[in-house]
Amino acid sequence: MSDLITTHPFNNDLRVALLKLNRPKALNALTTDLLQEIVNELRRLEDLPEVRCIIITGDDRAFSAGADILKMSELTAMDQLNDKRLRLLKEFSLITKPIIAAVNGFALGGGHELSMACDFVIAGDNAKFGQPEINIGTTPGAGGTQRLTRAVGKNRAMMLALTGEMLTAREALACNLIAKVVPSMALLQETFEVAKKIADKSPVATKLIKDSINKSQEMSLSDGIEYERRNFYLTFASEDQKEGMKAFLEKRSPEYKGN
Amino acid sequence: MSDYSYIIYNVENQTATITINREEVYNALNADAKYEIVKAIRTANKDKDVRSIILTAKGKAFCTGQDLNDRSVQAGEKPVDLGNTLETEWNPLVQTIRESKKIVIGAINGVSAGAGLSVALACDYIVATPGIRFISGFSKLGLAPDAGSSFTFTRALGQKRTLDFFLFNEPLSSEDLVEAGLINLVSEELLEKANEISSKINAMAPNCVELIKKNIQLAAESTFKESINNEIYAQRFLGNSEDYKEGLTAFFEKRAPNFKGK
Repeated sequence: MSDLITTHPFNNDLRVALLKLNRPKALNALTTDLLQEIVNELRRLEDLPEVRCIIITGDDRAFSAGADILKMSELTAMDQLNDKRLRLLKEFSLITKPIIAAVNGFALGGGHELSMACDFVIAGDNAKFGQPEINIGTTPGAGGTQRLTRAVGKNRAMMLALTGEMLTAREALACNLIAKVVPSMALLQETFEVAKKIADKSPVATKLIKDSINKSQEMSLSDGIEYERRNFYLTFASEDQKEGMKAFLEKRSPEYKGN
Repeated sequence: MSDYSYIIYNVENQTATITINREEVYNALNADAKYEIVKAIRTANKDKDVRSIILTAKGKAFCTGQDLNDRSVQAGEKPVDLGNTLETEWNPLVQTIRESKKIVIGAINGVSAGAGLSVALACDYIVATPGIRFISGFSKLGLAPDAGSSFTFTRALGQKRTLDFFLFNEPLSSEDLVEAGLINLVSEELLEKANEISSKINAMAPNCVELIKKNIQLAAESTFKESINNEIYAQRFLGNSEDYKEGLTAFFEKRAPNFKGK
């Protein structure tokens, strides 16, 4: 594996994979190479049957402070057009296992967009979120005007992206940008507790829930409800659904196999 | 050469002492003096050999707020933006004290006025010399309380007494503030007392000290449910720490624990 990221099972629980961005000196600036590594690793984890939930994290100072501005300053429009970043982020959305972003410190620009591309965000109380592209004369380019607006609404998204100001963890929680705030030093452990709960569930059901909720961001309500219903029907073709209901009736914990 | 012009920074026995050193202007703060205090607190937080911080001042005053000789705050022909002074100078100073992972002990040696009140009361644990005065002074200049003092005083004194304090500028004494729960204690031997408290803190488990501070700050600003949930996160983390193991072992072996901050 490269030195840009490291992964290991968290707390020796093989079901939870912790993917750590490992460029602390650059505040985990999101180069194309790093993004490629993340996507490669996610694909590998997607194919490992024992992995049921993935955590992406940075370090205490930064989840990721965005793109490498020095490299970006020299690019032409054609460089950008031919860059594979957008394709990499699309591949991100093909991962069917739940991905949690565990954010301490800065999640800015491309780093913030990466966190929004994850399924949900848990933040340490020292986290800061923002789209500061406007401060360097450009615009967000990987979801920072789209996912952000869907998450927090037009007003807050406009102000954030137009001023380049940052939100604190609690402000981000208050406007639904993130799911939970915990003390920064307890971030990984608390994220692991959440991941463990997900890992205990039926992988068939978690995959379908993720799919339905992601579709809700793209569809009309009536289409979305029909889509959801089909995924609901689909669970009844799984062993896991039978096991889940049987275990409930027998008052024991279910044992899901993911089929 | 020292990194600082307006303060003295000194580390001894795991305690960083920051002394505001502008006696000639009663420790009023210009922009650079504020940045220096912020820098010193950050330095102390990064320093593995520091476990707690004392903030005090030289001379008769602790801090008399804004240095009005600072050009940026003087009302002249151009409009002056005091909001900017708060946003870029005072509030970051107050927030740096509040957000310091290491406990900041305020050793309040003399009068505190204006935004100096907010600096004093932002400290986590506060010892003051008996009989010193805490004065608002804002309304004399045609201004309103700032840098967190509206919140701090209203929580402690209630709306009516706080209005009185900020409207009419009658000073409150250290003893009044002990009674109001805004400061911990008064002592003639100010620095000795502050050092005694910091030594106690320095012997404790650093993560536990940090999370006690955070738990309380959060409790003051949130609902019971948020607070009780937050306690779960903190305790789960501490329960997994090496220091908890050491604390338990020391308890059963009837000896003093030796905490490592892990």
